Amino acid sequence: MHKAVQAPKNKIRRTGEDRAISVFIFVVMTFVFFVTAYPFWYSLVLSFSEGNDALRGGIYLWPRTFTLANYNAVFGISYIPTAFLVSVARTVLGTVVAVLFTGVFAYALSHSKLMFRNFYMTAMLITMYFSGGLIPFYALLRALGLMNTFWVYIVPNLFSSFNAVMMINFFREIPDSLEEAAHIDGANDLTIFFRIILPCSKPLLATMALYSGVWHWNAWTDTAFYVSDPSLRTLSYVLINLIKQTESAAQTLVGRVNVSTQSYNSMTLRPAAMIVCILPIVMVYPFLQKYFVKGIMLGSVKE
Amino acid sequence: MAQNPLTVPRGERWAKGYRRFRAQGVLQAFAIAGFVYLLIFCYTPMLGLGIAFRNYQPKMGIAGFFTAEWVGLKHFKAFFGDYQFADIMTNTVVLSLLKLVFSFPIPIIFALALNEMQHPKIKRVVQTVSYLPHFISWVIVYGLLFTLFNTSSGMVNNLLADLGFEKVEILTGKEYYWTLAILSDIWKEMGWWSIIFLAAISGVDPSQYESAKVDGATRLQSIWHITLPNIRSTIMVMLILAIGSLLSGGMGGSNFDQSYLLGNSINYSKSVTLPYYVYQVGLSQLRYSYAAAAGLFQSVISLLLVLGSNYASKKLTGTGFF
Repeated sequence: MHKAVQAPKNKIRRTGEDRAISVFIFVVMTFVFFVTAYPFWYSLVLSFSEGNDALRGGIYLWPRTFTLANYNAVFGISYIPTAFLVSVARTVLGTVVAVLFTGVFAYALSHSKLMFRNFYMTAMLITMYFSGGLIPFYALLRALGLMNTFWVYIVPNLFSSFNAVMMINFFREIPDSLEEAAHIDGANDLTIFFRIILPCSKPLLATMALYSGVWHWNAWTDTAFYVSDPSLRTLSYVLINLIKQTESAAQTLVGRVNVSTQSYNSMTLRPAAMIVCILPIVMVYPFLQKYFVKGIMLGSVKE
Repeated sequence: MAQNPLTVPRGERWAKGYRRFRAQGVLQAFAIAGFVYLLIFCYTPMLGLGIAFRNYQPKMGIAGFFTAEWVGLKHFKAFFGDYQFADIMTNTVVLSLLKLVFSFPIPIIFALALNEMQHPKIKRVVQTVSYLPHFISWVIVYGLLFTLFNTSSGMVNNLLADLGFEKVEILTGKEYYWTLAILSDIWKEMGWWSIIFLAAISGVDPSQYESAKVDGATRLQSIWHITLPNIRSTIMVMLILAIGSLLSGGMGGSNFDQSYLLGNSINYSKSVTLPYYVYQVGLSQLRYSYAAAAGLFQSVISLLLVLGSNYASKKLTGTGFF
């Protein structure tokens, strides 16, 4: 009876141990799925709920009411649209220049005949294991006049040793004959890099751009450390204030909400702001998956 | 044909080298651009570590790295003698070790479980969801935790109250901070680190499993005697990485973010870690040289941990970085 139910291709005898493992794995998978996905789902549900309704409790899986008021309210907070634009600007600009700048360095170092190659390489590798730390870096940025400017988001992040290592490994795989042929046709290294190497490296560039883009979008410590001008704050950073404020103001808000005519409050506004911050990442997530998994392999599998 | 370079006159060798350099002009310019960046943004701050032994003020600029008044080990002595030193080091070292103990093996176990999963669709969905948290910032993680666990409107606490239990101050209670820090760290990075182990597992030669099966090996025996030995070098490399970044909070480097975001005045004595302390005394209290001394202490220990774990790994298993 029991045997007949099982797929006939599964000829190997399934022992008790096999079945126990399968059940265990299924439980683990379900648990991981729920624990990871639910906090996001719950925040999404709250962000579409009416504030007063959410406070009544009992919302777990689906909004009882549906409203976009929270999202309207989020963009109605005076500092959010500015912060959103700053985040977009630093992400786009920061990513483009970082990928290019790290890319040209990596391209040069991918040539085994490059003079002083070992010197450049060692200079880079040392920085992966040792750094001056926060305070001297802060002093440097101050001396360079980057403090409290938009450029503090861009210039110090022009180069990444980790990305450079991955790019060097990738460029090495491109056949030399391609460059040689172009050389014979009279192209110089600059033309070769932009016209031949970069178009050949789209998967790599996508991976690097995603690394850099996600990093820039999520970055908040540089705002905390180096920026005091409110108009230069990033979305991630102002979100902290929003959460911390609701933390301290939650009590008063809860008390006030009965007389409030607004259809949002801190309980539903906060998740809406969080969703706004997560959304761009979720939108590139399919690409992240496609390229990141390859990218992490690119970095780890050598020779 | 090939001249012994030692017999070629020096001037000629220089000229030859220069011609070769010129021929690589564009590539050299590319490399030098990166090198100049490294000089400015990586090596200058390393030289700047000297301010740990001086009385430095930011208005002194870069020159102050070398000219500020020399005070020797004064700041180190002050740091080691600080009343918070014990708290800071306990939190940093013990919390980081706990993170290592829990968040290092779990991705391996998760990868093994994923590998044993026989429904490709479920496997893909679970895996896809599992590494989403890696791509969001700690700010969002904090927001999610707050949404679930705050005591006035948090889902879990409301549920507890509805079920007749008392609300738990998970986010503010001192006694919960370490648990919260470790669990949220695992939650955020487990799926991501499992990718590397899963990739290593998928590289194992399938014929090994087949012959083991013929020999009557059970599933657990296959995992124990084939999968794990085959991914040993990956595990060792990841372990060295993890130990190297121990003080900053493991591979996710989460100590600072957690101290800053999850820390508050109530749980401070449990949540303050070395990277956060450096930030606090340096950039909030403006004690630059003192903070630099604490930071240098962290850098040196981290470096020793990398070199030590690499050395140990080479001796024990023959695998290492350098």
